[in-house]
Amino acid sequence: MSSKSAGLAKKLGYTNVKIYLQGVPGWKKAGQSVVASDAFIQKGNIILVDLRSEKESAAGHIARTVNIPYDELEDYLDDFDSKAPVVIYGDNAKGARKELAQAGIKGVSLIDGGLQGYQARGGKLVSGEPATEIEWVRKLGKGEVSSEEFLVVAEEGSATQVVLDVRGAEETVGGTFSNVITIPLDNLEARMAELPKDKEMLVHCTTGARAEMAHTVLKKAGFKSRFLVGDLSCEGGDCTVE
Amino acid sequence: MKKIKVLRLVAFLVFAGFLAGGCVGNTGSGTQSAAAPTSAVEKKDANVYKGKVAGVSNKAKSISMVVGKDLVMVKFDDDTKGMDHAKKGEAAIVHFEVRGADKFATVVKPKLAKLPAGVTEIQSEEMIGLVALGPEKGGFFLVDSRPAGRFAAGHVPSSVSIPVGAMVAKGAELLPADKDTLLVFHCGGPT
Repeated sequence: MSSKSAGLAKKLGYTNVKIYLQGVPGWKKAGQSVVASDAFIQKGNIILVDLRSEKESAAGHIARTVNIPYDELEDYLDDFDSKAPVVIYGDNAKGARKELAQAGIKGVSLIDGGLQGYQARGGKLVSGEPATEIEWVRKLGKGEVSSEEFLVVAEEGSATQVVLDVRGAEETVGGTFSNVITIPLDNLEARMAELPKDKEMLVHCTTGARAEMAHTVLKKAGFKSRFLVGDLSCEGGDCTVE
Repeated sequence: MKKIKVLRLVAFLVFAGFLAGGCVGNTGSGTQSAAAPTSAVEKKDANVYKGKVAGVSNKAKSISMVVGKDLVMVKFDDDTKGMDHAKKGEAAIVHFEVRGADKFATVVKPKLAKLPAGVTEIQSEEMIGLVALGPEKGGFFLVDSRPAGRFAAGHVPSSVSIPVGAMVAKGAELLPADKDTLLVFHCGGPT
């Protein structure tokens, strides 16, 4: 999209217009940090980490902070959800970003100008003991169904909803849910006549990738559907969702 | 009045591109229709899909793509080259061959943006140097064209959020008054 905007700027009479084609991914690849907006730090569904010592953090930190002193970061790496946006601050933020990236946690941002910059822009701190455990819950994306809602329909049935299993035939050997239609994703378009027009379909596979693709196909064809993102495993006829 | 027409066309194309999401760009010259229907594409070259990757399933060995207004599916196998470029949300060009009832991708290539006339490219090293100087000393204005939500989550320090929609609606108001200021645009990748 940057080329569109640059073209518009050129048309508006700007003489010196450039494009950084690699964009934000290229910037990160070059070892550089990105910064989060203050409103996102205050309200976003993030893991906000203060890397300073317990004492410094207790004296004044941003609300919703989890205090993980930098030298203890290694012990906490497993507690980060790789899908969670993470904002870190304190000395060593750049080093911590690299450490997190190496552990597969890539959505890490810093605070512009650090804590000092944040305060200079009017950002408030709170004192007292900050949290020391990471607690983060992913919010459902567009078109997603929660595993709780999904399981009620899958196990108990519903007059208005039905589960659609789009896994391949060899994958359903281990079991399926009870209230379910099974059509592998490959055959979905050919077998649309078998689908109910009056019920919402809750689509699942084993992770969510194929379910989302099926959801897109169904939506286009005028069906009502949502999809499940979660790890599914079936054994001895019973399936569980994580 | 010709100028207004041209601007409207550009606005439409930008909007059409915007619907495709993220950083997807066509030529920017306004000569290529971003919303070409699939049928036309298929007539031109039956074995190429150009569009945004909607999803990749490794289990079903299938890529789904939005081409024009249609959603299409292409299978892939171990012989498919360039699967690194088949990433959800990114624009790609997929060459395929038909085997029986299925289409199999042979090569996946990234769909790279072309630079509009008079616009040059800047590399990471130069960017790092500029950002280190800051907008005042460096004499630049850095624009992030991605949607505002993605900017909020993480952006290049000193960049300013002007999503493409805002740029179309009120570009001149949002850019510096001095038309000789170095403007650097970027978004979420090279496509």
